[in-house]
Amino acid sequence: MSIETRRRLTPYLLLLPGGLWLALFYLAPLWTLLKVSLSSRQGRFSMDYLLTWDVANYQVALTEFGPQFGRAFLYGGLATVLALAIGYPLAYVIAFRGGKYRSLLLGLVVVPLFTSYLIRTIAWSSILADNGPVVGLVSWLGLGGLLESLWITDQGRLLNTPAAVVGGLTYNFLPFMVLPIYVSLERIDGALVDAANDLYCSALAAFRKVVLPLSLPGVFAGSLLTFIPAAGDFINAQFLGSPATTMIGNSIQDQFLRQNNLSVASAMAFVLMFVMIVLVLVYSRRFGTDDLA
Amino acid sequence: MIRAGRGLTRRQFAARAGAIGLGALSWPILPGCGAEPDDPNRLFVENWPAYIDPTTDDWQGSVDRFRKVTGIDLRYSETVNENQEYFARIQPRLGTGRTIEADIIVVTYWLAARLIRLGWVDPLPIEQVPNAANLEAGLRNPNWDPEGRFGLPWQSVIVGIGYNRAATGFDLGSVDDLFDPRLKGRIGMQTEMHDTIGLLALGLGIDPESLSSFAQAAPAFEQLSRAKRDGQIRAFTGNDYLDDLATGNFAACVAWAGDVAQLAKDNPDVRFLIPEEGGLRAVDAMIMPKGARHRQAAARWMDFVYDPAQAARIASAAQTYTPVVGAQAELARFAPALAADPLMFPDGVTKARLKTFANLAEDVEQQFDEAFSRIIGA
Repeated sequence: MSIETRRRLTPYLLLLPGGLWLALFYLAPLWTLLKVSLSSRQGRFSMDYLLTWDVANYQVALTEFGPQFGRAFLYGGLATVLALAIGYPLAYVIAFRGGKYRSLLLGLVVVPLFTSYLIRTIAWSSILADNGPVVGLVSWLGLGGLLESLWITDQGRLLNTPAAVVGGLTYNFLPFMVLPIYVSLERIDGALVDAANDLYCSALAAFRKVVLPLSLPGVFAGSLLTFIPAAGDFINAQFLGSPATTMIGNSIQDQFLRQNNLSVASAMAFVLMFVMIVLVLVYSRRFGTDDLA
Repeated sequence: MIRAGRGLTRRQFAARAGAIGLGALSWPILPGCGAEPDDPNRLFVENWPAYIDPTTDDWQGSVDRFRKVTGIDLRYSETVNENQEYFARIQPRLGTGRTIEADIIVVTYWLAARLIRLGWVDPLPIEQVPNAANLEAGLRNPNWDPEGRFGLPWQSVIVGIGYNRAATGFDLGSVDDLFDPRLKGRIGMQTEMHDTIGLLALGLGIDPESLSSFAQAAPAFEQLSRAKRDGQIRAFTGNDYLDDLATGNFAACVAWAGDVAQLAKDNPDVRFLIPEEGGLRAVDAMIMPKGARHRQAAARWMDFVYDPAQAARIASAAQTYTPVVGAQAELARFAPALAADPLMFPDGVTKARLKTFANLAEDVEQQFDEAFSRIIGA
């Protein structure tokens, strides 16, 4: 094999393991999912699904689960915005002001991930409980009325409200926002900021014109890593929410595991995936990273 | 979602295993297909958590006692957490004519009824279980297994109302009290449809035992739907309702007697009530999945747990309503307080106030499940 041929083949060989993995464990299941979503089941508990190319399952998914889809994107979107608002300054401080504590601070961001996701979420239900510390603090500070008017609490309660679900999502996915932003901030050459200052940029202008644009790839990656799993999540809505805050993940879980309706569940999963892809495409067009990365 | 999706994919993958050479990777460890001889010294039981007396420093639990007495290598696994999800787990195999590993599984009566209806169970070796004679009358031919061939009761659970006196500020008496405006936003309901709808039906004067159509139960669904819309209901929960009840997040909720009894030990404000309109009796039953291999050992296990002395030990740990007559006298020897507990050993009057949800036809059950699912918001 000539060096030239080998050079041409190398990228493909490198792609092979990942490609195989993707084909077997992502594309093949996806294909099955698609087929099941276009099939009708032969009896409620039957495992026989007849491929009929019937789009009725999609009709059910779209007409009966509108509110759950809406809440998934609303809560996922809010959690992403909140995680960005909390995560960006945090990443900024760690990257530029962390000094010798940088690794420690970064470690602290990651530490919660060592505990099970489920345990952390259930722990929040104790923290937000009616007799819990947060509700106690709120009433001690006399903030009850304010939070009530901001729709954060409901009759003085925090647990089982939309705010608790969004809060749980924000908390759980925050590290996935912080880490990519940190990485892109950390790579910024300090000399660029110095140059901006030398050219009479105020600190704010230097941030806006130099740091922010250079960190956008991190923001882009972080918001996708937060939004996609948050919108598809069902754990937070299950443990921190109420019957009025269920998200599409809860409905898909219900259809799969309780109603045994794999067809409708698959159709819902596909609709969710489709909407996500469209949103991500629009987002990457708008804030695309091609010229920034 | 991911679990079920994988289950199905795995099955379909397996069918094409030759083509993609993936069979060995993705196929779960295969239990024998009935061809293997019935090894009398092996047994696999799947049950709910905390449903048997465990081995402690100074006590040998039932599982270990059974192993010692019989020499049978019993694998006892507490893997049934929720009926619906457990069903979704076994469906891909039993639904395609293959067996599962467990020889005995303990599921709630309505799921047992469904499995019997689907033909996914084997008849029990009842003739080899002489101690079945110790069972309470009426449990041998229940509505979920009229011929009494497929299921035997493990324990019964009384479904009623649990409430936190400190949170309610008053004592509850009827199902209707769950809809008291003073408790707005602090009521919990079970995600278990039969328990929630059954109890509400009782409250509305509808007999859950004689339900045969959706229309008969419709008022209970309407009541539930209205209560959810009005914000009366805080959440629908499974086993996790106990924390909410203990902390007072739930002032009151649909509850299981044994659980509340355990909770009340630490928190005297927590109480259990069989409402004045009556309560429900939910039986968890032992059944053998179709093709289960260890029939002899299974019979010995059933015979063992129906011995009143053993049944007393199991009931003392689970604090549930044992199906075994004679267990009360045995229990009185080492735990007189429990033996006198009216929720573990209800008297005749109380028993008469307990109803068991009807065995619904498949299409009717589907209507119930779907309507319920829409209400709980999933």
